[in-house]
Formats: sequence, structure tokens, C-alpha cells
Amino acid sequence: MNSPLITTKQHQKLLSKRVKRRDRLLLNVIGYTSLSLIAMFCLVPFLLVLSSSFTSENSIIDKGFQLIPSDFSTEAYGLLFKYPNQMLRAYAVTISVTVIGTAVGLFLTSMTAYVLTRKDFIWRSGFAFFFFFTTLFSGGLVPWYLLVVNYLHLKDTLIILILPMLLNVFNILVMKSFMSSIPDAIAESAKIDGAGDFLIYIKLIVPLSKPAMATIGLFIALGYWNDWYNALLFISNENLMPLQYYLYKMLGNMEGIRKAMLLSGVVTNVSLPTESLKNAMTVVAIGPILLAYPFIQRFFVQGLTIGSVKG
Amino acid sequence: MKVSKKKSFLLLLTLLLTLSMAISACSGNNSKSNQSESTGKTNNSAATAETNVAGTETDIDTSKEVRLKMVMLGAKPADSQKVYDEINKKLKEKINATVEVEYLDWADWSQKYPIKFAANEDFDLIYTSNWAFYNDQATKGGFLELTEDLLKKYAPVAKANIPEVNWDQAKVNGKIYMIPNNHMEVVDKLSLIREDLRQKYNLPEVNSLESFATYLKTIAKNEKGVTAYSDAAGNGVVWHDLDLQTLFQLNNWRLLNYAVPIAFKADDPTGKLFNVIETPEYKDLLNYYKDLADNGVWPKNIINNKADIWPQVKSGKVSMITQNLLTLASNMAEAKRENANVNLKIVTLSPNAKTSAAIATQNGMGIHATSKNPERALMALDLFQNNKEIHDLVLLGIAGEHYKPEGDDKYSAGPMAANYGGYSTWGFNSNINRENLDTPKEALDMLNELKSRVYHYPLEKFVFDDTNVKNEISNINNVMIRYNAPLEYGAIENTNEGYAQLAKQLKTAGLEKVQQEMQSQIDAFLAAQ
Amino acid sequence: MNRNNFWRNLVRYHTLLLMLLPGVLFFILVAYIPMAGIVLAFKKYNYNDGIFGSPWNGFDNFKFFLQSGDAWDVTRNTVLYNIAFIIVNNLLPIIMAILLFEVAKKWFRKVIQTMMFLPYFLSWVVVGAIAYNLFNYDFGLVNGLLRGVGMEPIDIYNTPAYWPTILVIVSAWKAVGYGSIMYLAAITGIDTEMYEAAEIDGANVFQRIWKITIPNLLPTVIILVLLAVGNVFRGDFGLFYNMVGNNGLLFESTNVIDTFVFRALTLTSDIGMSSAAGFYQSILGFVTILAANYAVRKYDKDRALF
Repeated sequence: MNSPLITTKQHQKLLSKRVKRRDRLLLNVIGYTSLSLIAMFCLVPFLLVLSSSFTSENSIIDKGFQLIPSDFSTEAYGLLFKYPNQMLRAYAVTISVTVIGTAVGLFLTSMTAYVLTRKDFIWRSGFAFFFFFTTLFSGGLVPWYLLVVNYLHLKDTLIILILPMLLNVFNILVMKSFMSSIPDAIAESAKIDGAGDFLIYIKLIVPLSKPAMATIGLFIALGYWNDWYNALLFISNENLMPLQYYLYKMLGNMEGIRKAMLLSGVVTNVSLPTESLKNAMTVVAIGPILLAYPFIQRFFVQGLTIGSVKG
Repeated sequence: MKVSKKKSFLLLLTLLLTLSMAISACSGNNSKSNQSESTGKTNNSAATAETNVAGTETDIDTSKEVRLKMVMLGAKPADSQKVYDEINKKLKEKINATVEVEYLDWADWSQKYPIKFAANEDFDLIYTSNWAFYNDQATKGGFLELTEDLLKKYAPVAKANIPEVNWDQAKVNGKIYMIPNNHMEVVDKLSLIREDLRQKYNLPEVNSLESFATYLKTIAKNEKGVTAYSDAAGNGVVWHDLDLQTLFQLNNWRLLNYAVPIAFKADDPTGKLFNVIETPEYKDLLNYYKDLADNGVWPKNIINNKADIWPQVKSGKVSMITQNLLTLASNMAEAKRENANVNLKIVTLSPNAKTSAAIATQNGMGIHATSKNPERALMALDLFQNNKEIHDLVLLGIAGEHYKPEGDDKYSAGPMAANYGGYSTWGFNSNINRENLDTPKEALDMLNELKSRVYHYPLEKFVFDDTNVKNEISNINNVMIRYNAPLEYGAIENTNEGYAQLAKQLKTAGLEKVQQEMQSQIDAFLAAQ
Repeated sequence: MNRNNFWRNLVRYHTLLLMLLPGVLFFILVAYIPMAGIVLAFKKYNYNDGIFGSPWNGFDNFKFFLQSGDAWDVTRNTVLYNIAFIIVNNLLPIIMAILLFEVAKKWFRKVIQTMMFLPYFLSWVVVGAIAYNLFNYDFGLVNGLLRGVGMEPIDIYNTPAYWPTILVIVSAWKAVGYGSIMYLAAITGIDTEMYEAAEIDGANVFQRIWKITIPNLLPTVIILVLLAVGNVFRGDFGLFYNMVGNNGLLFESTNVIDTFVFRALTLTSDIGMSSAAGFYQSILGFVTILAANYAVRKYDKDRALF
């Protein structure tokens, strides 16, 4: 191997390659094992939920959650889809709210974040404070409810499911920190070419922050997908109920009526498989996201070369 | 590619503009919010003034058709529209009004209910109850005061039919804010046990603390795979779930606030309050519970259990359940339907104690303080509670579909029974309620027996106003969850130490101050009688 | 002079200002207008007089909390837990994101990422139920294993000492997917030319991570930590309430401000009192974040939040 014919330069190259290979190997060993371990930790509880959703209620009460259903049953799903139209409508509401909300929200978030990254903008820390302050102080539920119901008259509208979550300070500031890794020189050279601020944002910054946009877009979408609280407060028309609230209501109605029975001395006969139902609801709510996830994923699994865009 | 980018850019721009315009228009509205709020207020007082004037006139003007908004608790029944269409036909004809119901689901009513008042939303009628914020909302001015004149004029039947004691119980600071239900309910807790297991081990009848403990301990020891006792304590407890039977019903004690361990003896005319924690009965009970816990009567982690008990009793995993009589009766009927061989029995631990009727504010209907049509709302309430046709409709649904009428005062479930009911129509309960023929006979006998033991006591009408001791009550609530529940469930190894800790913490939380406040209100109340 | 500057700046930055306008209007509408409701913390609220007309009652609404004797304990718990969460819930996702970025197989990265995201979707109610099924004394999985190998079962729901560890692990478990995606995005945003340059210099993988990846993640870390610091007095109600339930035995090591207030007010449901508790958390958080931001600003002006 160590032939004397090899020049020093070649030798160095070989050596560096071997070092590289060894550290790569070490990293891969660490990487594959620890990632697999953590992923298992995350997967197993979900499998418990999945299999319990297909287990009969009695069996859950008896033996707890099981990885393999000892008494297979689709009762919980039967109950969930007892009124398939309502379920489909709930899906439709959630999907439209998520799509519209994410599109508008992502645009507003990135635009706001971009202005805050501009070092030449003299008011930027003032505005950053203006936004951040809202995460510290809040007036509570009553004034907000009053505003929405009595002044904005947005009760029982799709708008109220979208509006409150369009922007949030966390997303704006994380987006801002992502964008700050884009070199200032890019914006400056475009400016010299005569491009306006908005054009720079749309034409240069947006394409350059694709991974950031995909990530924040995903976060906004997940926020909309999982939201039931706005619906709880402001939606009483069943045609406008999003999926998560519809599910929440189903379960809550069972638990709530039991409490009311204790308190009021009245009788209503309810006996539903609450344990397996809880799990089936989780599965029903996650399903579509898990299906869509691989398509979103490609945006942030691979890197982006700034140089290639620049050139 | 370039063109579509330009297009999407233009689209975004338009969107931005419309959005910012929409938002600024909205915030423009808000700058006026204070102003319109104050004008809203003057309107309200004007409206009340008007009703008072109307109340003094003799004939009632119903020429203008009105739509009343009624807020109820519970899930919307599948046939709600159908039933209310029928109801509205009758209401239109009688008082030229129709109702529109908004259902606050069981899942979230307790969050929505106070907000509806706080934000002064537009509604006329609302279900209310001592467990559904009645006192709280009444003190804060959420309900319209129902004066003698208003009731006499617009709800004459209810006014005449409902006994004086019910009206008195509905008073908050001397004023009436609800039409209470007019139907005697017994709220005593009883237990449903496995009679087959009791016979299998030749155990004595369960009717006292001793025989109850024997039953539980025998099952815990001998029946593998059966939990003797369990409850859903994880849903939030201050007391052991058995306390109502083993402490309060047995000794005939009454609490003034569920979370505060201050009680009085129902038959004590002086209404002297005492600290429950300091009584020998409570101390003995702690040892009794500890013994049960140590014998494995209930699961070790019962305080974290949230699962419903009834399905487990039905499937034979748990050997008993406690509930009010009619719920147990319906449980029993359900179990019998599924398996004719089950042998369950309803038992009481206090066969000789006096029972008390549910306080009338257990179920009732109130009128929103800012209702635009309080007169028509009252008239509608009177009809709901006392007009036979409308009463049957709202409580049971459509005859032949949701229920089958049997004679004038009885009914059985109809083919579509599942599509109507299950929400808070209980405020309309009255002496014309039909009796359910599906209730097992032995439960009905027991009910009549319980009713025969109902006892009216002087403080029955007393309602405690907690305004001055809210801070103390919140703290006591926390202390009871933290120290009393684990102690009673036998989860604390050393009962004496646990007890000392509880007593000390209650003292720090201000129990004495609350007791004094309660006592002075009671004394004033009794003196005024 | 100053005024002149202002107008000149207004003209100069008009596009940027217009771009900020929707965001500014949004927060005025959904946050600043309702913020007026903070006065409820100092009022004895009744409907007839409304929010602004109700009589003032000074600090009465704060009494239930401050006089409870638990105020210090629950405040300390809240802060300590949050500090642990800040450390673990940033460190673990950073490590995971770096490893995800470095391992070669694309399909592996995708699969692992999807799996790590699963816990995020389980609601706290479901997580609480899973925990009960794992830790239960009588039929829990953990004790089943212990009994299986001939060891004494442990009563987890009766032992406060286990819970800080359990809660930190559960919180990290639920947050790892979300966090690692965020850091992965930050890593993919790093200019690949930097990596190539390092490679040419002969740096090994670990050196490259240490010298390039981590410094480039710093802005994101600082922002996330600062955001968390502002909320260091707010407990994660869903986590604490659903994991611990109303089990008083565990309160000494698990009670945070939010669960304390919730339990105290379940029966009273007083708007003024809950506003007061929220205001207490806000003020403490505000002071803390001002200090933290000042410190960061001193170190590097561009890294500060504001």
C-alpha cells in the first residue's frame, strides 16, 4: 500500500480520505443507533394507540392498552362514522380552513419577518418589541369573546376559524432567524439594480428561504389542523364544525353528561366505549396528515445551495 | 413560468389590500366600542323599566311576533328541529312567539356558559341550576329579576303551582331569578351491589358500614379478577366518593359549599355549624377507609383513574357502583336487558336516616337580564312547564315516535326515543310529568319509600353567599384536593400524620373565617324567619 | 429636525412599513384591543357595569393566590420545570437535527422524521391515558416488567420524586419532532459552500459540525430560548394536568401556577381572580425577558429579540 512512488500530495489526500471515512463511520454509528432508538420511543406509544383503537372496550378496561389487540373490534370506528356526512363535512371544513389559513398566514408571516431582518430599517427593534409584547400580556377570554361576538359579529363564520391564527409571534421570530442567514449582500445588490423592497422579498428572499417557508408553513398548517378551541368558542352551527372540535365534542359530551347526571339527579343512559373511542379519534385525526407529510417533507430534507440561486 | 409568478404576485397584492382594508374597517368599529357599550347599557335599563310599566297594565299585548333565543345544555338531539317545529306551531298560536334553541354541548358548556353572560350575548331564556352557576350569575347581574308582579302577570300558572319553599330556595339575596322546577327529586346516593356474590359467600344484608365493609373485603380477598370498589376519582375529587353515603347521609349532615368541610345537622333548629374534619365520625371513617384500602378493596392508584365505572360493573370487573336511585335503576334495567341472569341489588347504608328533597334550584330556567322580550319569554316558560301539550312535547318529543303515552300520566319509550332528549329540559319538570313505565318496579318502590322519608328542615331555604370569602374558599378547595382526597383513599401511609397535615393546612387556608361568615349568615337568616 | 427625520424615514421606508401594516393591524385587533381586559384583574366584575364600569377592588383578586401559602412553591416549580424544558427541548432536537442531516440514507431520514413527529399529534389527554397504562401499580406495563424479572413493583403515582424526571422526558418526547424539524430547516439554510470550504481545509465531520453547523444554529437557538424565557412563569397546563390529574400526593413536585389556579377556581370560576393570576405571570415574565434581552443585546446587538 505505502508505495514509495506516491508523492506527498497524493499521500495527504489519501490520508485525509481515510480519516474522513473513519469519522463518517463513527458518526453513522452514532446517528443510526440514536435516531432509531428515539424513533422507536416515539413510534411505540402511537402503535399502542392504533391497536387500542381496534380493541374492544372491555379488553382495554381489563388489560390496558395492548400492542396487539387481544379482542379485535371496530366498534369505536363504527361509532365515529355513524353519521358519515357529518364526518366528511368536518373534514371539508378543516381542510379548507387549513389551506386558506396556511397560504395567507405564510405570506403574512414571511413578509413581516423579512422586514424585521432588514438591518437598515431603523424601527425594526421597536416593531419586534410591539409583536413580542403580545406574547407576555393578554386580556383574557372575556374581552376577546366580546370583541368577536358583539363588535366583529364573526360568530359562526369560517373567518373566525382562520383569522386568530393567521400570525403568531413565535413563527414570525423563528422565520426571522432563518432569514437572517441569507447574506445582506444579496438584497443590496438587487437594490442597486433598482428593485423595490417588496420585489426583493418576493423575487429573492422567498425562493431563498424555501426550507424555512416549508417549515413554518407546516407549523401554521398543523396549528390550523389541530385547532378546536376557536371552534369551541365561536362555532355552534354544525355545518361549520372542524374535525378536531367535532371529535372533541363527541368525547366530551359523554364525559360531560356523566358529570351532569351526578350533579342534577337526572337520568340519561349513556354507556359508550370512551377508551377505544379516544384512540380511534386520534387515528382519524392524524391519518390525512400522515398521508400528506411525505410530500411536504422533501422541502426540508434536502439542503438548498444559496450559491446556485445567486448565480 | 414568469407570467404565472407575476400573476400570483398580483393576486397576493390584491389579497393584502383587501385584507388590510377589512381589518382596518373592523378596528374602526372597535374604537367606538366603549361608546356603544354604554349606550347598550342605557337601553337595557330602559327595557327593564318598560317591562315594569307593562306589568302594571292589565291586558297583555302579543300583537308583535317575536323569536326567542333559548340556551340549553347538552348535545343537540337528532330530531330537535322536528320537535321544535311542533312546539313553535303551538307557541305561535298561543303567544305569537317561536323559540330557537342553542345547545351548549356537555363537552364545553361550563366554559361557554359564563362567557355568554360576561360578553352580554343576545339570548332570552337559559337553563340554570345551582350546579350551573345560578348564584354566581345572579349576583353578577346576569338574570332578570322575576318580581311578584311579573310572575303573576306573565307566568300565573307557575306562580300558583310552584310551592312557596321552591320560590324561597330560588332567592339570591332575597330576589328571584329563575323559575325553578316543580317536581320533587331525591338526590340521595345509593349503591348497586352484586347480590349473587353476596349470596355466594353467605354475607349479611348490606345496610350498614360494617356489613358494607364485610362485603367489600370478602370480594377483595376471594374473587380474583374482580375489583371490589372503584370510582372515577381522577375526574376531580374533594371527598371520597363514598362520603355522601358513609358520612353525610348517615349522620344527616348538610354542607353549604361542596368544597368546604363545614356542615350542620339538618334537624338542628339552631343551625349550628361545625368542622367536619374535627368530628369523631370523620376520624373513625378515616380508619375505616384505611382498613379497606389496606385490604385491597380499591386499586392503589384510584386517584388517577378516569375510566367510567358502570361498564366495568356490567362486565363483572368491579363489584359495585354508587349513584342516585333512578340512574341505578336504569343501569339495572340495562344489565337485565343484556343478560337476564344478572343479580344486582340497590342498597342503602342509611336505611333509617332522613332524606331531603333536592333543592329546587337543582333545575330551573332563567331570563337573561338584557332580553328584549322578557314578557314573552316568561309566558313561554309558563307554557313549557305547565301546558300539558307543550310540556309533553318538550320533555318527551312527539307522541308515537319518541314516546308512547300510556293514559294521562304515564309513558314508555317510543321507537325513535334515541333521537330526542338528553339535554337540559329538566327545568321544565313539574307536577304534570309523565311517569316512566320502563323503570324497574323495585326501584319505584324504593323511590316511594325514600320520598316518604323526605324531611323539611329550617335551613332548607338558606343559600350561602360566598362573596366575602371567595379567596378562602378557593384555597380550601385546593387543600381538600391535595390533602383530603389522598387521606380518605388511604394513599397516605400514616393516617395520623396525614390528618394533622390536613387540619393544619385547612386552618392556614382560612377555614375558621369561612365558618364564621357562614354562621353569621345563618344566624341572620334564622332570626329573620 | 427630529420631525424632519421622521417624515424622511417614513418616506424612505414606506414600502417596508406597508409590508408590516397587515401584521401590525392584526396584533392590534387580536391582542392589543382585548388587552384592555387586564383591568379585570383589579376589579370586582359585574355585568351591569361592564368591564370598565365595574368597581375597582385593588389587589383583592390576587389574595387567593398570594395568601395561599403555596404561591412560592408553585412559582418555583413552574420556573424550574421551564428551565429544564428549555435546556432539554432545545438540546435534544439540535442533536437529532444534526444527525438527521448527516446520515446518508434519504429514506432513513424520512422515515425517522415521520416517526419522531408522531407524539406531537397525540393530545395530552391521550398521553395521560398512555402514561396511566404504563405506570399504574396494579396492571401497568412498567410494573409488569418489574414483576416479571422478580423485582418489587414501584408505586409511581404515590412517589413525588419520580415525577420531575418523568415530566421532563414526556415533554421532550412530545417536542422532539417539532423542534428537530425547526433546527433541520435552520441547518439546510446554511450555505453549502461553507461546508465545501471546510472539507477542502481537511476538517473531519465532527470538527465541521462544531465549527460551522453549531455557530450557524446559534441565532435560532437564541430566539427560541428568549421566546421561552418570556413564558418561564407559565406552566404547560395540558402536560401537568393530564399527567398528574388531581392526585394530591404528587402536588409538591408537580404543582405549577396554572394547575394551582385551575384547581382553586373550578368551583368559583371568578373572572377577576383568573385575570389576576394571569397578570402575575405576565409581570414576572416581562421583567425576566427584559433582563435576558438586555444581556443578549450587550453581547451582540443583532441577536437580541428587540
